[in-house]
Amino acid sequence: MSKLVAEHVFKVFGRRPKEGVRRIQAGTDRDELRAEGTTAAVIDASFEVQQGEIFVVMGLSGSGKSTLLRTLNGLAQPTSGRVLFDGRDVSSLAAKDLRHLRSHRISMVFQHFALFPHRSVLDNAGYGLEVQGLPRQEREERAAQALELVGLAGWERSWPDELSGGMQQRVGLARALATDADLLLMDESFSALDPLIRRDMQDQLLTLQQRLRKTIVFITHDLNEAMRLGDRIAVMRDGRIVQIGTAQDILVDPASDYVASFVQDVDRSRVLTAASIMQKPPVAVDLSDPQCVTAHTDTPLAELLTPASRTRQPLAVVDDEGRLSGVIARDTLLAALGDQPVKEAHRA
Amino acid sequence: MPRIRLGNWAEDVVSWLTRHFSWLFDAVSSVVNHLYDGVEWVLGGPSPLLMAGILAALAFWMRGLPTALAAFAGFALIDGVAQWDQAMQSLSLVVVSAAVALLLAVPLGVWAARSRVASALVRPVLDVMQTLPAFVYLIPAIIFFSLGTVPAVIATIVFAMPVGVRMTELGIRQVDPELVEAADAFGTAPARTLLRVQLPLALPTIMAGVNQVIMLALSMVVIGGMVGAEGLGSTVFGAISQVDIGLGFEGGVSVVVLAVYLDRITGAMGEQVSALGRRTAARARTGGRLRGFAVLRYRPRPAVGLSCVVALALVAAGTGVFGGDGQPSAPVAAGSDVGKGRTVTIGSFNWDESIASANLWKAALDARGFKAAVKTYDPGAAFTGLARGDIDVLTDAWLPTTHAAYLKQYGKDYTDLGKWYERTSLEVAVPSYVKGVTTMADLKGRSKEFGGRIVGIEPGAGEMGLLKDKVLPGYGLDKDYRLVSSSTSGMLAELARDYAARKPVAVVLWSPHWAYSTYHLTKLSDPKSLWGPGDSIHDLANKASAARLPEVSSWMRGFHMTEPQLGSLEAAIQAAGQGNTAQGVRQWVAAHPGVLDTMAPVGAGG
Ligand SMILES: Nc1ncnc2c1ncn2[C@@H]1O[C@H](COP(=O)(O)OP(=O)(O)OP(=O)(O)O)[C@@H](O)[C@H]1O
Ligand SMILES: [Mg+2]
Repeated sequence: MSKLVAEHVFKVFGRRPKEGVRRIQAGTDRDELRAEGTTAAVIDASFEVQQGEIFVVMGLSGSGKSTLLRTLNGLAQPTSGRVLFDGRDVSSLAAKDLRHLRSHRISMVFQHFALFPHRSVLDNAGYGLEVQGLPRQEREERAAQALELVGLAGWERSWPDELSGGMQQRVGLARALATDADLLLMDESFSALDPLIRRDMQDQLLTLQQRLRKTIVFITHDLNEAMRLGDRIAVMRDGRIVQIGTAQDILVDPASDYVASFVQDVDRSRVLTAASIMQKPPVAVDLSDPQCVTAHTDTPLAELLTPASRTRQPLAVVDDEGRLSGVIARDTLLAALGDQPVKEAHRA
Repeated sequence: MPRIRLGNWAEDVVSWLTRHFSWLFDAVSSVVNHLYDGVEWVLGGPSPLLMAGILAALAFWMRGLPTALAAFAGFALIDGVAQWDQAMQSLSLVVVSAAVALLLAVPLGVWAARSRVASALVRPVLDVMQTLPAFVYLIPAIIFFSLGTVPAVIATIVFAMPVGVRMTELGIRQVDPELVEAADAFGTAPARTLLRVQLPLALPTIMAGVNQVIMLALSMVVIGGMVGAEGLGSTVFGAISQVDIGLGFEGGVSVVVLAVYLDRITGAMGEQVSALGRRTAARARTGGRLRGFAVLRYRPRPAVGLSCVVALALVAAGTGVFGGDGQPSAPVAAGSDVGKGRTVTIGSFNWDESIASANLWKAALDARGFKAAVKTYDPGAAFTGLARGDIDVLTDAWLPTTHAAYLKQYGKDYTDLGKWYERTSLEVAVPSYVKGVTTMADLKGRSKEFGGRIVGIEPGAGEMGLLKDKVLPGYGLDKDYRLVSSSTSGMLAELARDYAARKPVAVVLWSPHWAYSTYHLTKLSDPKSLWGPGDSIHDLANKASAARLPEVSSWMRGFHMTEPQLGSLEAAIQAAGQGNTAQGVRQWVAAHPGVLDTMAPVGAGG
């Protein structure tokens, strides 16, 4: 069973939200509604997130990412549709149960950190535990562990305003991890950080994730970040999810021109792998031929360039068992690294 | 446009409230009085220098040595100008008003911050409270709560509370919404979010509001003095009424000392009470300019500071200076103890003959075993208080003209004890150095000299109406002269100013008045007798008091004074100096043997 399921979630702001939903369903344009003062922030969003998965929601500013995220822990009630967490409908929970869910099972990391300036680093990290009602000593122990986990051991007695942005966000992460919630919602959590620090944080999140296997919904408007972090990515546009898939799916097979133009700036040489552009071998390839250069299916294109330069023949792509899966001709490789979506390069 | 009887409705509401909710007002009154008495007992109990020490220790704790020294010097100054008791009374008034105002303001502010509807409801009410002139609700406040501390506290609360509400609302609304959302996202219950996130973060703003509330409360002290609250307000108000610039200055400086002290202390409290404030202060200190002057920066830690304050307070209690017993009362001659300790409250205004007659009666009644007290009010407040019974007798009612309006309003609650002084007169007066003006008719054609105006008193005074509607038109002066309304003290200040510069000035005046002995003035005669026959001065009693105090009523009915008698009494009081009225009266009584027996014959009253 999926950890988290969104079923036809709509969120409409305005005076008569329900009617807004009906009109959207009947085909009214989103812009038309907006002119009347009704904002359809999320339109018919459906997806499933598996246990242990990092699910990234990506889209431009105003596309409804935050609103969608907020429906996941009930901070915003869907106008229509429902959200199931471990099979339970989040939107139908009583206020008290919803609070319990948020304090124990789902936690959140914010774009601007949202640390409490009147609490020490330790007290910030232990906030969720305090809400849970844990006694002071246990709370502080667990908060200290969480801080250690994010590399902030020794900073417990400091104040948030004494830390750098990256460190502050680590506190935010520690606060979210301390409660042992199994779902982490992260809303542009690294967007406010410098590029270098951001990369650090991404690496740290990935390392942590290997140990903790949380379920994470991560919002970003940065495609490279989405590609780096996401097991799967949902692309949002104007309130709708226009495509869901792995980074490769989206690069190789964009669902629309919009997605295609969106992904055109991505460093595809690092995202695409040999498997995504290889073609059926036209003839049998002799793998034992010394002239034949092989590459693994998971190798990124960037690492194919040097091998490709050593031979005139197509590269042979092999799987885990060393069996031939396909070949990559030089021109295919070059076309794939170019601006055009890969699909068209295939046909060419 | 038909006349909308808004005023009548307001009056109806006030009288309806008085009839049906007096129990509520009495309860409020008693609570506020007890609060005030308690605080005043604590603040006013210890000897001045000890209390100054305690207040300075508090400043030391909150802000360090320089503030403490300045505070001590300031309070010593207050004691030095003999305003200590008044200052402590005002301080108590401020403390009680501000505390009640905040008790109401903070929850209201929280409510307004959390609900758009509440905010929309509260805002216009606050606007009205802040902008309605205090006098408009002072008189109803007296009707509801009687004269003295309570209406002053109520008026102060009305005036000071809005800023507390606004700052609380602002503080809470200013809290970063992301932080509130973070609290929400971790499953915090709303009440807990308020207590653990919103209020602590709003605290610096709320404390700024507390500071403002206290300062506004202090600014109402003088107005409080007009409705009979004790303290610096009545010093200043009294000084203004008598154009006593020196005393007014001393009172004013004392108010300033209190203001600066309260401002610094509450400002520091803003830093101390909130974790956020302490953070900011700590950061500011590490980069502070006073580096190297450790003594100046030293502040005791809370425990040390608190023990300083407590220790001094204990010393105060130990030396037995709390709650002194007051002076022993003069012995009552054997056989003349008619009063048997019954209290009589005599109302007066800051008019010379009022002070003189009220204090003379106090002397007479004290000698007959009563406990008499003279309380000084603004005339409007005094007549309202008499109707309510806060005042038992009022010795200075000018009838039938000057105070006619009050009699019309409250006449059924008064017993008229008859006139004790005949020949008052109303007039326009000019300095004697203005030649050739001796009658009203002489003003004709000389309006340029007088700047085209006659300086008047309170616009509501009967004399003003008479002058405007009858006298000026009667002499054909209504085109040439503008009657400027101000206040009695304003008129006297204008007279003093122009007199010193020897400028022609025409003022609205009456006799008896001390101005005639201070300045050389010409009373303009009234050949057409338009001013009317002139008032007599009556004793008025509250109806119930008259029944409760039959002896006093009958003595007052038989009381008379001649112009020379009154003149010499006023002179004796004037000679004794400010604050020594009782002594002046004693000297005059000693110089007029038998006068007390004439006023209050033993046996005759029963
Ligand atoms: N409480 C609200 N009331 C009315 N409209 C809202 C509300 N919250 C969001 N919206 C609107 O919904 C739309 C989507 O907003 P949302 O914050 O979800 O976008 P986003 O993708 O997170 O954008 P960003 O990258 O700028 O954070 C926007 O047009 C916004 O104006
Ligand atoms: Mg957003």
